Amino acid sequence: MSTHTYKKFEDLDSGALPDKMTVYQECLQAFNASPVQAKRCRLLLSRLLRLLYCGESFPTAESTTLFFSISKLFQHNDYSLRQLVYVAIKELSAVSDDVLMVTSSIMKDIQNGEIIYKPNAIRALARVLDGTTIHAAERIMKNSIVDKNQSVSSAALVSSYHLLPVAKDVVRRWTNETQESISDSKSFPSQQFLTHEYYGANKLPLSTYTYQYHALGLLYHLRNHDKMALMKMIQQLSTNSPLKNSLAIVQLIRYIGRIIEEDSGLTQTLFPLLASWLRHKSDMVELEAAKTILSLPGLTGEQHLQAINTLQVLLSVPRTVTRFAAVRILNRTAMKNPEKIVVCNVELESLINDSNRSISTYAITTLLKTGNSDNVDRLIKTISGFMDDISDEFKIIVIEAVRTLSLKFPEKHQSMLSFLNDVLRDEGGFSFKNAIIEAIFDIIKFVPESRESALETLCEFIEDCEFTELAVRVLHLLGTEGPKTPNPTLYIRHIYNRVVLENSIVRSSAVIALSKFALLGDESISKSIKILLTRCLSDVDDEVRDRAALSLKLLSSKDIEEAKVYLAPSVKYSLPILEQKLALYVSGDKDTFSTPFDISSIPTITEEEAKAYEYKEKTAADTEEIASPGKEDKEDDSQNEVFKQNLLHQQYSQELASIPEIAAYGTLLHSSAVVDLTEKETEFVVTAVKHIFEDHLVIQYNVNNTLTDIQLDDVTIVSQPDAEDVFVEEFIIPIEVLKPQAEAAIYVSFSRAEGIEPGVFVNTLSYTSKDVDPATLEPAEGDVGFPDEYQIEELQVSPGDYITPAFVGNFTHVWDELPNEQSAVYNLKDVTSIEESVSGLIKSLSMMPMESSEIVSSSSHHTLKLYGKSLGGARVATVIRLASTAKGFMMKVQVKSDDEIVSESVANNVV
Amino acid sequence: MPANISLYTVNSIIFLDNDGKRLLAKYYKPPHGEADPDSLAGQDKKQATFEANLFQKTQKVNGDIILFENQIVVYKEYSDVIIYLTGGLNENEALLYTTLQGLIGALDIVLKSSIDKKSIQENYDMVSLAVDETADDGIILETDPAVIASRVTKAPTDDVNIKIDLSEKGLFNAFQFAKSKVSERLQQGF
Repeated sequence: MSTHTYKKFEDLDSGALPDKMTVYQECLQAFNASPVQAKRCRLLLSRLLRLLYCGESFPTAESTTLFFSISKLFQHNDYSLRQLVYVAIKELSAVSDDVLMVTSSIMKDIQNGEIIYKPNAIRALARVLDGTTIHAAERIMKNSIVDKNQSVSSAALVSSYHLLPVAKDVVRRWTNETQESISDSKSFPSQQFLTHEYYGANKLPLSTYTYQYHALGLLYHLRNHDKMALMKMIQQLSTNSPLKNSLAIVQLIRYIGRIIEEDSGLTQTLFPLLASWLRHKSDMVELEAAKTILSLPGLTGEQHLQAINTLQVLLSVPRTVTRFAAVRILNRTAMKNPEKIVVCNVELESLINDSNRSISTYAITTLLKTGNSDNVDRLIKTISGFMDDISDEFKIIVIEAVRTLSLKFPEKHQSMLSFLNDVLRDEGGFSFKNAIIEAIFDIIKFVPESRESALETLCEFIEDCEFTELAVRVLHLLGTEGPKTPNPTLYIRHIYNRVVLENSIVRSSAVIALSKFALLGDESISKSIKILLTRCLSDVDDEVRDRAALSLKLLSSKDIEEAKVYLAPSVKYSLPILEQKLALYVSGDKDTFSTPFDISSIPTITEEEAKAYEYKEKTAADTEEIASPGKEDKEDDSQNEVFKQNLLHQQYSQELASIPEIAAYGTLLHSSAVVDLTEKETEFVVTAVKHIFEDHLVIQYNVNNTLTDIQLDDVTIVSQPDAEDVFVEEFIIPIEVLKPQAEAAIYVSFSRAEGIEPGVFVNTLSYTSKDVDPATLEPAEGDVGFPDEYQIEELQVSPGDYITPAFVGNFTHVWDELPNEQSAVYNLKDVTSIEESVSGLIKSLSMMPMESSEIVSSSSHHTLKLYGKSLGGARVATVIRLASTAKGFMMKVQVKSDDEIVSESVANNVV
Repeated sequence: MPANISLYTVNSIIFLDNDGKRLLAKYYKPPHGEADPDSLAGQDKKQATFEANLFQKTQKVNGDIILFENQIVVYKEYSDVIIYLTGGLNENEALLYTTLQGLIGALDIVLKSSIDKKSIQENYDMVSLAVDETADDGIILETDPAVIASRVTKAPTDDVNIKIDLSEKGLFNAFQFAKSKVSERLQQGF
């Protein structure tokens, strides 16, 4: 005994983890001893738990031995030992075999044991039971659920919930008991609070009603298929016998949110309920109600405002976590509807200096999102004041927000740039500097007026830049943007300084950047560049010499255009496709190497297209969560989308090119998205894709035969355009045989008139159907089948099919410049909100929204600015003004384009 | 972001000391059925890095809450212990914090207002019970500190039953016990 005591103290003094094998041996010894020494066993159990909770584990065999020696402790009736035994059983049951053996001991405790460990016994029971043995415990569980002791009832409800995945049918039989528990009043046995002498300032409650939370959780999972039952439950729990537990209310709010999500028709019925919880004594209820209300799309601005007002109050409570939660919800709301948050601006600004950095960062980014052209300058100033106090990680988030903001308010680029310039001078790691450089790059790309001052900032930066990678990127940008400025020589000096002072990687990119300036056509510049390049020929590094030699060679050739192709190409290859093709080429067998890799098969992207994609991505991929890796996933997604689009286009081109008649039409200019022409559940599902060629329109009808016993022969489409002089049918490629559950495509080709011609095609599917033998899937010999027709929906060709989205830095400028204005006025009847029509217009016109005009800030009127390029290469700019009137929505469309026909047909065919 | 409609709310409860070393860590997953693929339960290596990084972020920063590796982490720092409770990104922050406060309040009672490394190690049995009474494999059992504490039994006083119960009933029991023992011996005939 004395040695044990000694050991115990040794352990405690050093605080070191007890030895695993010693504990194991001691446990076996003590647990199997007779009589059992309760105090010593409890001490050993706590050591065992300490090992487990610190990450140690026992192999299954040892764990099983331990498990059974622990079950010996059931002989001793000390309740405090028994309670810890149950904790140990819970921990070990997951890793031991034959845990079922203790079931009867546990059940005996539940029925006749002491009150204090009864709940522990019930919870341990849920670990040793499974789907086949649960029946034995049915009666006990039912009785426990309706027990008047709150702890027993909760334990039974939680255990039933744990058992749901393996025995839903059995647990379902306890629905009535569960239902009864929710509204029943249960309490704690009074002697429970005798366990300790002193409870501090805590109140000793009669009941905390937590069983309502557990019962509600269980009940929802038993009833979630039955909407009527759920509605009844909600009604009952909100009016007749309202829930008393905050956790339960939070849970109920989530269920209501889920129901509305599935059936938006119930929004207005259930809203008053949600709103009633916006004023509650518990902040978690208020937060949950506000969060749910703000995530529901079908509510009015007024209703959202109620939730925002609640959050506004919560922004200034002393509890950090509550402020955090409130500002986080507001931040999320600000992403979609920044204008709604403006009422909280005063509170948000006071949070900028919050002691919790996450709160201050959320406050700033939210403010930046709500920023409008009036307060942006002031905001930027406020932020600059506190940039010094925060860590790199938060600085990056702030810079990201500034970047988004500068794209939103191009006219404010000056204050943004000076802010970025200031922070660029600060100390910081690579990722911080990188974020700033990215932001400046974006401003240069999308706000052309800022170019010179931004480039100057960058020039200063590379004078003293410790990061090679950043220096290289800046040099590349100077090479592409520098020559476009009125005073290019300025940059040449900065670039050449790099050649003198930097490492070889930076030097070689400086060489390429320099040579781009020689392409300007200015003799004196070209001459000095050549001199500088000649000096580079004696560089110590191979790469630098090679690049200098190549550039000199190209520059000295007569044909400056050819040099341009190599030194400053205007088109880029689509990199994801290039990568994929190259990988395919390399992984092929030897034969593929006999033909050289065909670079011309890779689609190219012009600079403008690339910019349009990038702009879309940059403005869409908003900072969703602070410093969470989830953000990166999101960016990957949007990249994937572009990649998928490219891939799809490529796939279409290949498919179409394999049909000789269509191959003769030349290159595929544009393919539309897939349009459904039938319901998804019909026997024959038809979808269509419109392919536009130089002079032709090819409609690809994909027909899917969903039947298992019918084969279709000679499937064709009778496609009747409304304007027969515009679209003249040339040929149809029908499907000869469409097997059951197969899909194939019909191509219908039309020659098309020049310009942007809309049209409506009335389609009828005709075919000969034959019954097939389900075994062989072949029709009976000699079955001639019978011809049939099938009416499918009309297919519309809209101006959007002829336009690709494009980006332009200064929309107003382009708008003023473009000729051929056309306008039209529409009265929209089927539209319910401006938001809806705006997103519809962007899609149907297939143009890019400019100046953030896709964000609707008022419910009564809105101006949408769109830009794109027609397939013929003409620029198209559109300004659409929407206003709500008593009779619905009025829409005025103004279109300007290089091409008169384009303007006219877009204006006249918007809807 | 869909709200969590299951009752599984708490991802883990972790106690670290002032060097970032683990005192107690419970990573939860449902006892039956599928675990969330992102769950750290059963992933010893990932748990260790998670704890190390989390400790670095939160030590000496009395922020109460932080978003960390796609989880909400609420925490409370004491002189040589930090107690963390984590939940999913869409969880209700106030709800998690109330749960943490429930646990901490209960520890305050059972450890007699001294939440520190030494008393946690010395009273590991009661600390384990308090954690077990707060959350059951991720389902919150109770958030009221007094209730959680009242369910935590103290260790048995002593193994050798020398406690003399001087009440009438106690004396009677002692007498009964002696009587039965004596008669037992007598029957065995020594």
